Amino acid sequence: MADAGRKPHKPMDRRNNFYSSSSSSYSNSTKYRNSNYPKPSVSSRDSSWITPTKKSTTRNWDSDDGRRNDNDDGHQDYPTLVGTCPFMCPAEERARRERLRDLAVFERLHGNPAKTSPNLAVKKFCRTISIKDVQASDVRPVPVLEDTLNYLLNLLHSSDQSFAVVHDFIFDRTRSIRQDLSMQNAVSDQVIHMYERMVKFHIISHRHLYRSFGNPNVASVCHLNMEQLMKALTTLSNLYEANRASHSMCQNEAEFSSFYLLLHLGSDKQVEPLSLWFRSIPSPIMKSKEMCFARRLLRYYRLGNYKRFISTSEREASFLQYCIIEPYVNEVRMLALSCLSYGGYKLQPYPLLHLSKLLMMKESDVESLCADCALETSSDGTGKGLVATKQSVIKKSSGGFQKYYPMESERIERLCTELPEL
Amino acid sequence: MAAYVSMGEAHRRITEYLNRFSDAVSYQDGKTLSRLVSVSSDAAVLVSLAEALNTFQDANRLFRQSEKYSQYADILLPMFRALQSYRLRNLVESYLAFEKASNAFLQEFRNWESAWALEALYVIAYEIRILAEKADIELASIGKTPEKLKGAGSFLMKVFGVLAGKGPKRVGALYVTCQLFKVYFKLGTVHLCRSVIRSIETARIFDFEEFPVRDKVTYMYYTGRLEVYNENFPAADHKLSYALTHCNAQKEANIRMILKYLIPVKLSIGILPRQLLLDKFDLNEYSDVVLALKRGDLRLLRHALQEHEDRFLRAGVYLVLEKLELQVYQRLVKKIYIMQKQKDPNKAHQIKLDVIVKALKWLEIDMDLDEVECIMSILIYRNLMKGYFAHKSKVVVLSKQDPFPKLNGKPVNS
Repeated sequence: MADAGRKPHKPMDRRNNFYSSSSSSYSNSTKYRNSNYPKPSVSSRDSSWITPTKKSTTRNWDSDDGRRNDNDDGHQDYPTLVGTCPFMCPAEERARRERLRDLAVFERLHGNPAKTSPNLAVKKFCRTISIKDVQASDVRPVPVLEDTLNYLLNLLHSSDQSFAVVHDFIFDRTRSIRQDLSMQNAVSDQVIHMYERMVKFHIISHRHLYRSFGNPNVASVCHLNMEQLMKALTTLSNLYEANRASHSMCQNEAEFSSFYLLLHLGSDKQVEPLSLWFRSIPSPIMKSKEMCFARRLLRYYRLGNYKRFISTSEREASFLQYCIIEPYVNEVRMLALSCLSYGGYKLQPYPLLHLSKLLMMKESDVESLCADCALETSSDGTGKGLVATKQSVIKKSSGGFQKYYPMESERIERLCTELPEL
Repeated sequence: MAAYVSMGEAHRRITEYLNRFSDAVSYQDGKTLSRLVSVSSDAAVLVSLAEALNTFQDANRLFRQSEKYSQYADILLPMFRALQSYRLRNLVESYLAFEKASNAFLQEFRNWESAWALEALYVIAYEIRILAEKADIELASIGKTPEKLKGAGSFLMKVFGVLAGKGPKRVGALYVTCQLFKVYFKLGTVHLCRSVIRSIETARIFDFEEFPVRDKVTYMYYTGRLEVYNENFPAADHKLSYALTHCNAQKEANIRMILKYLIPVKLSIGILPRQLLLDKFDLNEYSDVVLALKRGDLRLLRHALQEHEDRFLRAGVYLVLEKLELQVYQRLVKKIYIMQKQKDPNKAHQIKLDVIVKALKWLEIDMDLDEVECIMSILIYRNLMKGYFAHKSKVVVLSKQDPFPKLNGKPVNS
């Protein structure tokens, strides 16, 4: 580093000299680049390849396996666990729950609340205190877990039970699957695919739950579902990262990264700021079609460009992306109403008809939304309009649970009628 | 290639090192001690010691022979192993041995009364991080999970715990904090910074002003960066400006690092750096961004973001810069206003949305009336523009007084 002109070091107010002019060279220190050194190469000799790692909160792939190890800073080496349970539910648990009559509707043999079978019983999620107490016979190996997952997700189409009941069951039992996977530290393409399917399940549930507004119980179920969705997605993110060295991008990584991004549009959900998350995403993923779409939506959201947010979502979102975006659409609509009402011309109420096109809603829904936001509408000869008012704050409905107003769009309607493959 | 050293010479070198070490401790000579433990440096004394250790394999015997040295066996035997391994490029071995040595050192350090050995402790803290980083690279290259840096982080937390007390040693806590920051930033586990920050900023034993300037600058730099990630611009401005003001003027690489984050923050609160500054510190990736803000040139801003996308994403400032679009819009409308004022001052405050559409088209940006109206309404809502828009007449009517309020050091209203 060459010094051109020594200056005495004084802690002066640099702001005046902020834009000083003299020239010299400097050295380029690039310490703050992406902290990705080459990742471990993982070879999948068989579907249940296990990585021996130290169990600690930041290196553990699954951020939720029920273990209370938030303060675990130790370097304990846990032996790698390989599950040996051949059934969807360990025999011991099956017998115990039969005795206690603790069987879900789907697990009952011929509807008998005290009888089940190996084809019906599925291991329940339960918080383990420590992995040391877990027996291999209670843990299902990866192939069994995959069969279990297939069975569970199939219930979504095949069962006559209500969605709430099905969701509840799958929610719990897939959580147990993730727990088993995490205890075995399983990392492989097969495992990644399983996580992807479970994430999709949570996304679809999210939409169902969001739309069944009005049911007071739904709010907490929705929140819990979101919690698990985030956890599963975070684990998936870690798995992608771990698998990166062994092959080129997993084909779905771009799509699932876009889900992650869309779920973090609002700043309130951020444990890790998005800027930081971006640093860990490889360039090809950042430039993928799915991520570019999500990034554009993020930009529109942050700038408040409600027009493009809504129109772009309508035009380009995939079904699963739309499931995540939908709650934000309403939020953005409310922002639009705020802005138009705040900056509008007092003598000319903003036509609701035009708003309905802009916000892609039925005109009657626009009117309802205005009422929800305590915004006045008026009618004159030409139709109803949003009255301008300099009030800049709109009352948001409490509890974060907004009334659901669908998107008036043929494309979206079509999207939502086709159930995706899980 | 290590030089061959005779047995006698090797014996001499090792004993000389042992003497230096024990003398340093006896006379509380922190400076000498710190030089003796910087394993990864190329200090002559350590290189020659490493060569000697290759010849003289049984250093253990030397410790047993003399009372004077045996008390340091716990520290120095693993230290020797660390040094040897390092020179032989067995980085994982080196780290593991050094970690052992460091733990033993820390135990001794606890017992030493004053803060005389702080400088040596700093070197240990620095070394353990560096060795851990190198060990992780080695682990990754052989297909294993890199987790030594995380271990180094745990050790550093222990050191912090030892220093966080009422005595004179507490001034060392900030240095260790900064080492922890570097570890967490590298690992991406930035949320772990929170607990140390809390300790530094709220514990009564710490008085921020007591810490050495160098450490305060580094601390403010990292906490400033965290504020940038969280988009708390006033806080980020305060911290990064502090770092800049107190940074040694000759440390230009450091100044550049601070500016890399401070500039986007300043831009977000409406303060533009001069091109000369960008040139001096080679931060020309910001040149077009600044120009775009000055000119109201949306196309230029988007182009700049695209061109330096990877760099901005890596730094973590991309989203901050993207948000400058609103200020660019403001500038664009202001320019139209100024032009209209020159033509006809009485009608200048009324701007047809069509005119804005045309201006954007000229910049090769396609926007329909609805979107322009949308942007105008956002500018008004966020107080970047004063006035109102008339939907039917498709016109923006600006306030006659101060239609384009300056940010004045505050970020745009969210």
